[in-house]
Amino acid sequence: MASLRDQLVRFIGALREAGVRISVAESIDAMNAVAAVGLERARMHEALAAALIKDEADRAVFDEAFNRFFAAPRADRGEHPDQRGEQVSAAQGRGRPGDIPSTPDDAPPRKEEQPREGAGASKRDEKSSPSDAKPSGETAAANRDDTKGKDAAHDSEQTRGREQRGESEVHEKSTGTGIDAARVTRLRAIERMPFDKFSDLDYDEARDALAPLIRRFRIRLGRRLRIARTGRIDFRRTIRAAMQRGGALIDLNFRARRPRHVDLVILADISGSVRYAAQLMIELMAGARGCFRRVSSFVYVDHLAEADLEQGHIVMTPAPDLYARSDFGRVLGELWQRRTGLITRSTIVVIMGDGRNNRLPARADLVREIGRMSRGVVWLNPEDPARWGTGDSAIRQYAREVKVLVPARNLRELQVALTAIA
Amino acid sequence: MDVTHEQISEGLKRALYVTNERVETAIFLALALEKPLLIEGPAGAGKTEVAKVLAEILHTELIRLQCYEGLDEARALYEWNYQKQLLRMQADEQQGLRWEELSEHIFSRDYLLERPLLKAITAPSRVVLLIDEVDKADEEFEAFLLELLSDFQVSVPELGTLKAHERPAVILTSNRARELSEALRRRCLHLFIDFPGAEQERKIIELKVPELDAKLAAEAARFVGAIRKLGLRKPPSIAETLDWARALVRLGVRELDTDAVRTALGVLLKHEDDRAKVESKASTLAPRRR
Repeated sequence: MASLRDQLVRFIGALREAGVRISVAESIDAMNAVAAVGLERARMHEALAAALIKDEADRAVFDEAFNRFFAAPRADRGEHPDQRGEQVSAAQGRGRPGDIPSTPDDAPPRKEEQPREGAGASKRDEKSSPSDAKPSGETAAANRDDTKGKDAAHDSEQTRGREQRGESEVHEKSTGTGIDAARVTRLRAIERMPFDKFSDLDYDEARDALAPLIRRFRIRLGRRLRIARTGRIDFRRTIRAAMQRGGALIDLNFRARRPRHVDLVILADISGSVRYAAQLMIELMAGARGCFRRVSSFVYVDHLAEADLEQGHIVMTPAPDLYARSDFGRVLGELWQRRTGLITRSTIVVIMGDGRNNRLPARADLVREIGRMSRGVVWLNPEDPARWGTGDSAIRQYAREVKVLVPARNLRELQVALTAIA
Repeated sequence: MDVTHEQISEGLKRALYVTNERVETAIFLALALEKPLLIEGPAGAGKTEVAKVLAEILHTELIRLQCYEGLDEARALYEWNYQKQLLRMQADEQQGLRWEELSEHIFSRDYLLERPLLKAITAPSRVVLLIDEVDKADEEFEAFLLELLSDFQVSVPELGTLKAHERPAVILTSNRARELSEALRRRCLHLFIDFPGAEQERKIIELKVPELDAKLAAEAARFVGAIRKLGLRKPPSIAETLDWARALVRLGVRELDTDAVRTALGVLLKHEDDRAKVESKASTLAPRRR
């Protein structure tokens, strides 16, 4: 039965690796939860989710990992002939519930001892090498100064391959040491990598880095909105409170400002090298959707297209012609026509683009009008400021009409810029 | 607390709360592990209802603390009844009592105003404590809650430490007006309740508004599900769906065509621009076109 516990420890390790923050106390909760609900797959699934996943945004990662670790019973899936009939050891990383209920008698007595064992399992377990415990025992950040970067980078590529193929053997390696360190260094590097140097591979990597960024972003946004709320003194409530204290003005009561609603309209250029920046921004904003009342995302090359995030992929309607010549002037015109209901006093318009307009009319006047109707227009430019205004860049014209123009050359700058908006 | 998973599912069914495995398991675990349960989800998806139903299942009292900005310990935990103390002091003064005797009087439980949290702790039996919309409270209050939720004891300087006889079952709800701290999340089990799917909502309508024709109920559920996807300012809650279903019964609607949809839209939608949006698409959304 030790295998189930190991399996859970490994499962939690994998979740941590995927960027879900899980404390030791929560992993103990998870063990207790499984002990309480038993091993019926659907229940175990929900029990682990309740104990481990404290943010619905992490749910997709959790579901994916759960299916990988606790696959559906044999009948439901094509089993590899070699594995059929024999127990897959937990060390291989893929136990099956088909196997687990074979020892259900062990489950109830474990209730008492489990918390202690759950927490210490990674250390005492003989099967796993000492390094095995690392990802589950420590946070990824703590492993930052690990020096096995190169080997691990190789490993991480294997890991990625494994995720696609679902191979159990390679999975062993992902729990080995070094992966975390390499991952963290790579993620940090990608945060600082300029968008114009991006390749498709880097983009995938950046999307991995996005999950922790989104969480940080959301927490910061939440805090900002909160701080802005303490308002002026509320005399009525202050006097009322004073009456209870015999007229002494002991407590000052403040009139709480109504939490301001913010609507966002995002307009992102997806032509050429800017497109990585644009896509990452849309995903980042989608993750923080809850902090705003409404988020409408648009992408453009020469026409406006609505952008929606469906299951992690950006869906654009109508599909834009990626090879068309950028024409932001026309896009502004289209946005202007749709302004009713879209742009109000509580809307912030965020434009992401390099302002290179192929010398077509810039229509900076429309930016001004939109700025007047809304709370403000913010322009994020993924281009190096040294190149602003050179060649066909109309960014200087736009700069006069927008509230703020900031560079967003890499993920980090992008996040800082977006946090400053709200 | 010895409850089984089956008792919870039975209880939920008996309380006419249509739900799924996820909700049942989370409630069961909250009771089995004696942990607070943090419920998140869109407004009107039935978060608060969980606490009410839970109190019903456990045959116990529901103590509710509605959070708001500026909520402090005096409102949430306890407060000395100043006016009453003052009266007592004046009465005692005339008898010429010394301060020691006096303070014994005025700092006793009689002069303590119990607010919801203290009430839940001092309750003689297990109660359900609902801390509603915890995201609306300030960060300081959240930090204070952390302490309370881990020990279920409160120290009142003049009275000493008050400890819960039986840990209350705690339900916290949040609409995500702001992000809750990681520390609070860590201490709670988590449950996300989304709007129900069309099939589940049909069941809810059939249970709560049995007068409505079954076919119409299914169509209504589908229609509401469809307009929730339109990105409205305020998508209709389950309660509004039920109101709408009752309205359809009262209006004697037989078929859910474009006109029928338009007549009672005010029950579902509370914003003019939402209404305009749905009306403009009513012809494509209505199950039966005319």
